[in-house]
Amino acid sequence: MIRAENITKRFGDREVLKDISATFEPGQTNLIIGKSGSGKTVFMKCLVGLLDIDEGSIWYDDVLFSKLDFRAKKEIRKDMGMLFQGSALFDSMTVEENVRFPLDMFTTMSYSEKLDRVNFCLHRVDIIDSNSLFPSELSGGMKKRVAIARAIALKPRYLFCDEPNSGLDPKTSIVIDALIKEITNELNMTTIVNTHDMNSVMENGEKIIFIEEGEKCWEGSKNEILKSDNKLLNEFVFANALAKQLKASTK
Amino acid sequence: MLRFLSGFASYWMLLGKVFSRPEKVQIYYRQTMKELISLGIRSIGIVAIISFFMGAVITLQTAYNTENPIYPTYLIGLGCRDSILLEFSSTIVALILAGKVGSNIASEIGTMRVTEQIDALELMGVNSASYLILPKVVATLVFNPFLTLISIIVGILGGWIAGTSSGVITSQDFIYGIQYAFIPYYITYAIIKTLFFAFIITSVSAFQGYYVEGGSLEVGRASTKAVVYSSVTILLFNVILTQLLLS
Repeated sequence: MIRAENITKRFGDREVLKDISATFEPGQTNLIIGKSGSGKTVFMKCLVGLLDIDEGSIWYDDVLFSKLDFRAKKEIRKDMGMLFQGSALFDSMTVEENVRFPLDMFTTMSYSEKLDRVNFCLHRVDIIDSNSLFPSELSGGMKKRVAIARAIALKPRYLFCDEPNSGLDPKTSIVIDALIKEITNELNMTTIVNTHDMNSVMENGEKIIFIEEGEKCWEGSKNEILKSDNKLLNEFVFANALAKQLKASTK
Repeated sequence: MLRFLSGFASYWMLLGKVFSRPEKVQIYYRQTMKELISLGIRSIGIVAIISFFMGAVITLQTAYNTENPIYPTYLIGLGCRDSILLEFSSTIVALILAGKVGSNIASEIGTMRVTEQIDALELMGVNSASYLILPKVVATLVFNPFLTLISIIVGILGGWIAGTSSGVITSQDFIYGIQYAFIPYYITYAIIKTLFFAFIITSVSAFQGYYVEGGSLEVGRASTKAVVYSSVTILLFNVILTQLLLS
């Protein structure tokens, strides 16, 4: 479980996160939604410790993560996997080397054991016979899947996905969403996904947090979103004509 | 001034991260071998070509400027040797490498920064500064002295070929000149300067790349800054080291 309490983050005089509190349970896909520039990515980077918070606290189970030093944070980070917006695969490494990297770095497994784990992870995300390809030779969807394989190589307890569907077609987006959900359930991970893709919200939104201009404006599930009276949330979620019709039909 | 001081402090803090204990020595060793090829072996060609022609030009210019019966012709060989040994093989080659290797390091690390690859390393619990920069520093410290020696040999060879083929000096006089009043310490001096310059090139360029913010435009700017700052720092240290080592 991850708990964020009263998180405030400033860049200079600009307050980009304002007193945000949230709890993310294991075994479910937690979504953070909001328009571009609302503070979703900053919030996620604060949760994983890539950005330091100015106020508040972040807990990983019973550990106060936000107060740990670099060395102690490193230990918890070994339990984290993250899928970055641009995949962040290492350009100079092949697909196999990318997925093997955390195993090389943090395990004492033999080469064949590592190779078995790499092939298992790649197979799990439906990447077959591509071990020797470089990231530049992969499509956007394949890059995301390899990044997921790398993120789960060490069997993490926490998975973070920043805009996993950005730049992908709707069909591939659905495949990636389904994959994240399946893996979350299989490994009983605490998964947090940043998204503004409404398909993802309606498919995967077991718990949804809506952020607007750095403030948490709403919290609920995908079923509750349809019935919500929150004006800002409705403007964001039901922005197009089709979505507005759907909302009208639920009333 | 404040910006300079804060940049200077960040540079030393980055070095502190770079020289912390590696996570896995084996992986760092493998990375260092890769960097030896990328930053060292792949620089042999450019160093050899430039050294050859510089040696040739130094010989011809020395010859045309000492066209006087008072000066013995073997001085052309001596002039070529000392110019290459004292200044060219270490300082000028370092400036060339600041352009080639420095821009390569800054753009590689800068691109990794803007594409979140460094964030990915940090998130895995890897000390990204150490993992990315330490192997480059070690590789250049190990290999650049060899580049200097190659530059010395090829530069003198270029001088000999240019001098003898143009007829400004005989082969015997040139060989006598390069042996005349030879001070072995000059080689040590060139190597010591090379080690300092190798460290400056990699650390200054890596610093510029590591703290890039923005996109491809900023990576390009960081790459230019890496070349400019490391070149200026090399020139400054050249004066300091020359005073310390030769006075």
